[in-house]
Amino acid sequence: MPTPLTPLVDQPLAPELLQQLQQASALKKWPLAKLISLFENKNPDAAQIRHDIARHIQQHPQDFPRNARVIGFTGTPGAGKSSLIAELCRKLLTLNDQIAIAVLAVDPSSQISGGSILGDRTRMHYGKKEERLFFRSQASNLELGGVSEATFQATRLLRHLFDLIIIETVGIGQNEVDIQFLTDHTFLVMQPLAGDQIQFMKSGIMEIPDSFIVNKCDEERLARTSYHMLRSSLKQARLVDLHAQDNYQNAARDQIFLTSALKGLGIDTLANAVLNIPQRRTAEHCESCYLRKGVLRRYGEFGLKILKHEMNLLDTATTFEEKEVAAFATIQRHIIPRQ
Amino acid sequence: MSDKQAHIIYDKEGKPSKDAPWIFRTYAGHTNVRKSNELYRSNLAKGQTGLSIAFDLATQCGYSSNEDIAKPEIGKVGVPINTLDDFAILFDQIAIDVVNTSMTINGTSMWLLSLYVALAEERGIDLAKLQGTTQNDLIKEFLARGTYVFPPDQSIKLIVDMYEYCLRKIPKWNPSNVCSYHLQEAGATPVQELAYSLVTAITVLDAIRERKCFNEAEFEQCVGRVSFFVNAGMRFIEEMCKMRAFTELWDEICQQRYGVKNPKYRLFRYGVQVNSLGLTEEQPENNAWRILIEALGVTLSRDARCRALQLPAWNEALSLPRPWDQQWSLRLQQILAYETDLLEYPDLFAGSPVVQSKVEELKAQARAEIQKILDAGGGVEAIKTGYMKSQLVISQAERMAKINTGEQVVVGKNRWMDGLASPLVGGNDGGVFKVDPESANETVHALEETIRKRDAAKVKACLDKLREDAKAGHNLMEASIACAHARVSTGEWSGVLREVFGEYRPPTGVEGQTLSLENEKLQQVRAKVQQFMDQFGHRPRIVVGKPGLDGHSNGAEMISVAARHAGFDVIYFGIRLSAVDIVQSAIEENVDVIGISLLSGSHNEIIAQLMNELEQEGARDAIPVVLGGIIPQNDIPGLTALGIRAVFTPKDYDLMDIMNKIMDIVLEHKAHG
Repeated sequence: MPTPLTPLVDQPLAPELLQQLQQASALKKWPLAKLISLFENKNPDAAQIRHDIARHIQQHPQDFPRNARVIGFTGTPGAGKSSLIAELCRKLLTLNDQIAIAVLAVDPSSQISGGSILGDRTRMHYGKKEERLFFRSQASNLELGGVSEATFQATRLLRHLFDLIIIETVGIGQNEVDIQFLTDHTFLVMQPLAGDQIQFMKSGIMEIPDSFIVNKCDEERLARTSYHMLRSSLKQARLVDLHAQDNYQNAARDQIFLTSALKGLGIDTLANAVLNIPQRRTAEHCESCYLRKGVLRRYGEFGLKILKHEMNLLDTATTFEEKEVAAFATIQRHIIPRQ
Repeated sequence: MSDKQAHIIYDKEGKPSKDAPWIFRTYAGHTNVRKSNELYRSNLAKGQTGLSIAFDLATQCGYSSNEDIAKPEIGKVGVPINTLDDFAILFDQIAIDVVNTSMTINGTSMWLLSLYVALAEERGIDLAKLQGTTQNDLIKEFLARGTYVFPPDQSIKLIVDMYEYCLRKIPKWNPSNVCSYHLQEAGATPVQELAYSLVTAITVLDAIRERKCFNEAEFEQCVGRVSFFVNAGMRFIEEMCKMRAFTELWDEICQQRYGVKNPKYRLFRYGVQVNSLGLTEEQPENNAWRILIEALGVTLSRDARCRALQLPAWNEALSLPRPWDQQWSLRLQQILAYETDLLEYPDLFAGSPVVQSKVEELKAQARAEIQKILDAGGGVEAIKTGYMKSQLVISQAERMAKINTGEQVVVGKNRWMDGLASPLVGGNDGGVFKVDPESANETVHALEETIRKRDAAKVKACLDKLREDAKAGHNLMEASIACAHARVSTGEWSGVLREVFGEYRPPTGVEGQTLSLENEKLQQVRAKVQQFMDQFGHRPRIVVGKPGLDGHSNGAEMISVAARHAGFDVIYFGIRLSAVDIVQSAIEENVDVIGISLLSGSHNEIIAQLMNELEQEGARDAIPVVLGGIIPQNDIPGLTALGIRAVFTPKDYDLMDIMNKIMDIVLEHKAHG
């Protein structure tokens, strides 16, 4: 039987946390990094602190004018996601001199030790301090789904502090489905002429992306061939509404991007597309997805069923933590015989 | 004549004869050009027959001494070279038309060769007389040593440019040298050493053939210029067999892949530096015996004897050797060659069924590995995918694990550890060499003088021409030699090519690696990790940072793999990072500890920079910092005063002991911070 959550109290934010939050909203890196750690923290008592921070942000919207769009990059290892994101960030920062970007890069945890080597910074090497770019590595913590609970939690905070959040998933292919709960737009990054595109069609992953990127198109010939191959695969699988005519020059119209991180090709087009992505999901949407995940993990399908019938119980909850407490308590009442 | 005896060497006329000794070299260079020139002249006077030049890391990575990144490294692991004026002093009173000069230089090989050519031209020396080698093996730089500058394809292009130029202008020069030395240091087994270095040779020769700049006869000659530089370790019988396997496999490749008809051009010509990796910091005097035994591995068998030999000094695991230490190693070579009867006999092992069987086994395994890499797209592809690198990391982890468990005995390190104190390390200098920090100023000052005196317009014109040629894909030798004459600096030459070619950051080699270690110590560390997680709600996070220009990434990678095995979340992002990079990552990732790995001898300068950067970010006392590498005992108090919480040296070879100590520091810091 899962232990019930400790009830939350409504209290003002502790002064040192308030200071950290203020500094973080001015993009000061260390206070921000410490706050992210609080959101990643798995100890039960961290929930109260998260609740305090979330409440504070809700009550002071004027202090947190930013409202980030969240985009995801998924795809198999070796497709060059990290290099591509590094180039994309570089381009975005020059195209828009106001934009503040946070990158969350998820790498796999070891099945044996639970530890991890997080190497995605290798490509994000600028050689100088870039105030408007914040990079954080996260371990997948053995969760399937490509993004970890920690990613969701960090996103909750970061969306109030940045203009754009980029999530890079583990890249293990078929389990990358969770990313869609978090993002406004998901890119699937592939290698040119991967040949396994049809394989992708059959698996769930092909249904997730909003756009396709063929990276490593270092030569134009490669880019053209890849474009035609991918387009015909997509058409065959009827996964997207494609414009009637093939047009390599205007591939982006069909949400196909041909890039070379190495040679800096196609990055402009991609960056402009990214800047114009509309916001599609609300923070509440993400939270309810993760709430259902949490319920499923603790109470299984039974819990989900109860949650569905008693959704109105969540109406008064203000933060994700309150929703969790309310939902879990309700379900718990159904399974524990009343005394 | 029918009465020839099997134990006698006969010359062409049928007279009994004796072999000439190999070339005696000492890898040397330090402080500045003036001091290094004195050292070379004194080494030559002591009977050394060739020069082996060590360059400092800034020169190797393409930076001038007046750049920030170069400053902590000036003159540390070799001589700093900025302009032709430096070369003139370095080779002052040395007859470069006679002496055979080997340069351990890779990313900037073309530049150093251009300086050598320009020096010869200024002295009026016929270029055809120049002889020597530029190491120029970029594949092993990407795999193990880390002083690459440009991406793989462009690096290979520069090598091919040099072959094209040298064959026509300096026929006695070896434009590149396939260097497996560092592969063994990075963990390569004999089979991997064979396979990866032969793949390297194939990669270079295939690229040359593809350019179609030579006719058939010239190409044969070009194959004949490929020389090798190998490592010799403690398993000296196997090493000897490895050398025989090399010789036979190379002959096979030359005939089958390249159709080389002239046997002279199929000869496996190689030089050796015997292994510094197996040398221990514990009981360092034992290293003298190790060096002797390793030297036997590459000299005993006449059919696979080296052309040139460099021996490390007994104290290289402690720090940089002093001139006396190098002299002691040179004497070993002289005794072996002149006092013993080694050079009087034909091959001692021809016909030995034991040796033959071992050689055949090595060859078969190496052939299979070579084929595997060629099938997957060849050497450059195996660099880009990280395949070879990951194989080396696995081998290294296995080697370390064997030392940890005692399965591989290292005397004085994991067996018979108690010994009397060594009087050799008792002097005021602690038995090691120290570069005078003031000498760096001399180098920077000389560069400033050259810049002041040179014709700025000519410099600009030469650099513009270099840029143009690079963009057009032309051979860059002539433009580089013109730059050398114009007193362009190392940093300027590299800067232009960086601009055109880009700079490379390779896969780190730790991805997907595991450590097959299960013992009580591991359980202890994991228990501490669990305690940490229960208390703080997350895994301990560590940044493993490799600052400065030293590219020996093995230590950092071993630590990363071990830390993950212990249960840490490890942030590792490659080599050649600035103090700013490391501190920024530590802060953004909100780590619990920073681990720094340094082998270049510039730890005092770099740690001071790092601590200063932490201070500026307000994190100096908030994140504990530990350090690992070749750190002389005498430096440890100073580093501790700077705030370093623990220093790990080659003595601390047990990875879980290191992790245990780091966990203690993290827990203690959390409790009091």
